[in-house]
Amino acid sequence: MKPLDLRLLRYATAARSFFVTGALLGVVSTASIVAFCFLLSQVIVRAIAGDSPASLAPLLGALAGVIILRSVVSWLLDWTSSRAGAAVKSQLRRRLLAALVDLGPGWLSRRNATGVATVAGNGLDSLDSYFSRYLPQLILTVIATPVIVVVMLAADVPSGISVLLTLPIIPVFMVLIGWATQTVQKKQWDSLQRLSAGFLDVVGGLATLKLFGRQHRQVSRIRTVTDGYRSETMKVLRISFLSGFALELAASLSVALVAVSVGIRLIDGSLGLSVGLFVLLLAPEAFLPLRGVGTQFHNAAEGVAASEHVFEILAEAERMPVAGFRTAGTVSITSSSTVSTTAPSVGPTELHRVGLLSFESVGVEYEGVTAVSGFTGTFASGDLTVITGPSGAGKSSLIAAMLGFAAHSGRIALDGATAPSAGAAGDWVAWTGQKPGLVSGTVLANVTLGSGYPDRMLAGRSLALASAQEIDLDLELGVAGSGLSGGQAQRVGIARAVYRSLERGCAVVVLDEPTSALDQATESRVIEGLRELAGTGRIVIVVSHRPGVIDSADVRFTLEASSGVVL
Amino acid sequence: MRTNDVLRLAQPPLRRFAPGMLLGLASAICAVALLATAAYLIARAAEQPPILYLGLAMVGVRAFALGRAGFRYADRLASHDAAFRTLADLRVGVYERLVPLAPDGLAGTRRGDLLSRLVGDIDELQNLPLRVVSPLVVSGSVAVLSVATVAIILPAAGLALAVSLLAAFALGTGVQTRISGRAERSLAPLRGEFADGVLDVLASLDVLIAYGAIDSRLADVEQADHRLTAAVTRRAVGVGATSAVTLFLAGGASIVALMLGVPALAADTLNGPALAVIVLVPLAVFEIVGMVPLALGAWRQVRASAERVASAVPDLVPSEIPAEKSVAGASRTPDTASSKAPLLSLSAVAARWPGAASDALSGLSLSVYPGDRILIEGASGSGKTTLAHVLVRFLEYSGEYRLGGVDVRSIPADDARRVVGLSEQTPYLFDDSIRQNLLFARDSATDSDLDAVLERVGLATWLAQRGGLGAKVGERGALVSGGQAQRLALARALLAEFPVLVLDEPTANVDPELADGLIRDILSAAAGAGGSRAIIVISHTPIPAGLFTQRVRL
Repeated sequence: MKPLDLRLLRYATAARSFFVTGALLGVVSTASIVAFCFLLSQVIVRAIAGDSPASLAPLLGALAGVIILRSVVSWLLDWTSSRAGAAVKSQLRRRLLAALVDLGPGWLSRRNATGVATVAGNGLDSLDSYFSRYLPQLILTVIATPVIVVVMLAADVPSGISVLLTLPIIPVFMVLIGWATQTVQKKQWDSLQRLSAGFLDVVGGLATLKLFGRQHRQVSRIRTVTDGYRSETMKVLRISFLSGFALELAASLSVALVAVSVGIRLIDGSLGLSVGLFVLLLAPEAFLPLRGVGTQFHNAAEGVAASEHVFEILAEAERMPVAGFRTAGTVSITSSSTVSTTAPSVGPTELHRVGLLSFESVGVEYEGVTAVSGFTGTFASGDLTVITGPSGAGKSSLIAAMLGFAAHSGRIALDGATAPSAGAAGDWVAWTGQKPGLVSGTVLANVTLGSGYPDRMLAGRSLALASAQEIDLDLELGVAGSGLSGGQAQRVGIARAVYRSLERGCAVVVLDEPTSALDQATESRVIEGLRELAGTGRIVIVVSHRPGVIDSADVRFTLEASSGVVL
Repeated sequence: MRTNDVLRLAQPPLRRFAPGMLLGLASAICAVALLATAAYLIARAAEQPPILYLGLAMVGVRAFALGRAGFRYADRLASHDAAFRTLADLRVGVYERLVPLAPDGLAGTRRGDLLSRLVGDIDELQNLPLRVVSPLVVSGSVAVLSVATVAIILPAAGLALAVSLLAAFALGTGVQTRISGRAERSLAPLRGEFADGVLDVLASLDVLIAYGAIDSRLADVEQADHRLTAAVTRRAVGVGATSAVTLFLAGGASIVALMLGVPALAADTLNGPALAVIVLVPLAVFEIVGMVPLALGAWRQVRASAERVASAVPDLVPSEIPAEKSVAGASRTPDTASSKAPLLSLSAVAARWPGAASDALSGLSLSVYPGDRILIEGASGSGKTTLAHVLVRFLEYSGEYRLGGVDVRSIPADDARRVVGLSEQTPYLFDDSIRQNLLFARDSATDSDLDAVLERVGLATWLAQRGGLGAKVGERGALVSGGQAQRLALARALLAEFPVLVLDEPTANVDPELADGLIRDILSAAAGAGGSRAIIVISHTPIPAGLFTQRVRL
């Protein structure tokens, strides 16, 4: 691990200002340490020399002042660094989220969303100790250690030299141990993830284990996994603690060396007690920040490892050309106050009538793999059109192309004119995906998602069209829409698309497997609702493999796995 | 589980804990002794005695210097090892309490929470010996020893050191408790709120972008981030204040020692070297006592984790969950093969979920004979999954439920589950190979058995594509699609050869043209086992009725 990752300065402005403030505080702190050691040794020496308590009072007063200064500076440094840690984390998280939005759902769907969410959330928490414990010590090492060594050299050359000779051992050790720690740590990060996930895996699969009567045997597996975790971690710790040992040994040995050499020269009278005591007090202070760096080293490495994941994603987002699905001119993600502003006036909008949606040899590729190619077909207003076909035939890819989530070849046209890329700006298509994609908030907020002026009446009507009138609009949902059954969530997702179409007059409504979690009776009521919607002159497209849906289609497209189209 | 029980599990037994703690104490004593001996050595040397008089002190400083570093290294290794060893006991201890409750007694915890609770919190508990008990014991002992030493030299200075140490303890912890205690307590919910917001955005990214709602959602997340960051910043004030107070009192103790020592020196009740010792010892002691506020901070976090672990594991098994009773005597697995009674019979069975006000399933009567193929239909919320969980004894019931004529309440739930198997609606796959995910259903199965059963559920081609039985399924089956996971679960259930097999929504994620074949496969697999196995299929999707001997509508 490098002592400092410069990407941190690049991606988080809060880190830059912290280093300026930290350096200033470091200088004041160093001055107060030298003054403290000098004044303390002076008072002791003068007292032993027989000065009266009264004549020592000014010195004691100055000493008290320095002690107060030192405490205040230490407090400020701790405070500043903790604040900076929080600010940097917040900046990185914000940039990470913005980058993830730029990379888009397509990128995210090929990764583990929960894993990425962990990196954005708790993963960065290990930066806390990096900032609050490691960096202040690093700053002090750069400022205080050299200054104190110079002061020692000026006061007593042999003591200064003995510290100077001990100090270089530390960087050498740091490099060697740091290098060893890094290699073990890198190996260990993955195996630790696996081992710590091992316990979670057992707990997560407990129901399954019980079903097969295997729950009692897992005790020994937990012990094995945890013991593996222990021995893996101890391997790292044996090495990373070695750096702490080297530092502590160097620090305490140099105090011993200074004490013995000063003592011998005091006996033969070649050195005064005031100088001797002064350098004795200074010697450990030269090592103190270095020891801090050493003991916080593995905490810091953890923080750096976590931020590495973030930097990788940020770099990937930077490499990406301007995101295809976010049409130029839409609101910037990074600005905090912007809220979608494209809301129309209250209530339903007149339908933006489109007679024909046509696909002209549309193809979609993901990272070189063809998902669908050469799809040609037209969808007419007033029709309920069903796209069907086996899994992997590219049904969802066609929809992604229509929504602008996936780049496509060929042309998608509305009444002959090339359709604008939908995305955030698209008012011509309302869509719901295979996963309902509900978010925390009320059912009303979910149904009217993206609307500037949620219309309760219209939301109620949308729920009714989706055969979900029994769901209370004011029901509060948890994260990812928890609190509804799978079938209920699916119908709220349909209602959300219906609402958008009604409110904005979207001519096209696209539903991807909208009834996969519904029973037949509910499914046929949903189809009735969709027919009613088509009856208003909309183009309704349903991707489904459910016979009930297929049978009720006005027009049917069957995609073959080979992407040939059968009408 | 009570918080104290959790904490007791987290603290290693004394024989495991003592070595590390004693080594830590030795290192701390060496640290104080190093500075005291060095101060004495220099101040005494200034009096220019014969060098012989200082030989012991010179050996002492070197020995203490080595001891401080060496003991500390040994302490850290020993106490970390002990903490990790205890982690195994802790995990097993919590796990054993989870077993009787799972799965239905553990519901009501949101997904993300359950994860961080049972891994994060349990792992946090290893800090109890490491960062709480050991530092407190070590710094307490060193403080007492140092006060005693200084008091022997100059009683008043000893008293002053004791007072300033107590003040540091009281002020430091007082300041920290007041400023940061509140912030720390508020951190966990804020963290959760923020993490939930992030998860919401990422899980529904496509929807939020398509609906133009991404920016307002990001703004919400940013608000949560602001609140979290503000709380963290408030806590930072406390951490800094505590160490500043400690630093201030350390200097103060030295000044007081000087103010007491100088007159004593003048009165000749104290000599120069002794003065140096009583002035400098406080500096070393406070460096060690500086661990106390950190330890108390760690204690608050450990206690909060222990409380959360305790609340995740209820003390009493809810009445809706069958109590795990150990039935005395031999296992009483019903003899379903020779019994004349129905394989499985329900009479007026009702059941509800823990904490629910009303029954999710009521008044169901059903008799199942060997070879029966029963279809349970019903709309969402009609109690289909409730029934499945009653059948495998995850949920308690009222009414009568017999297996082979034996009341299931009279036999251990494990034995009942040996008769009735369930293929779950959302099957759980372990982060391991396909082989391991099948083998735990029947560990005597050979690879050709596994190949055969995968063939039967239509996964033969898939298996070949994935590179055979050794292929990994990924964390929580991440590398396997929903339909394939369902088929793997079926394969697992078939391997276990349950006399009664319940399939909860087996075709939910399967293409309809394959679904019929799959159902036929399952039913023919049942017939294959001598025709004696009974199959209960729960489904809301249409299934060809001709395949079943009986249909039940909930």
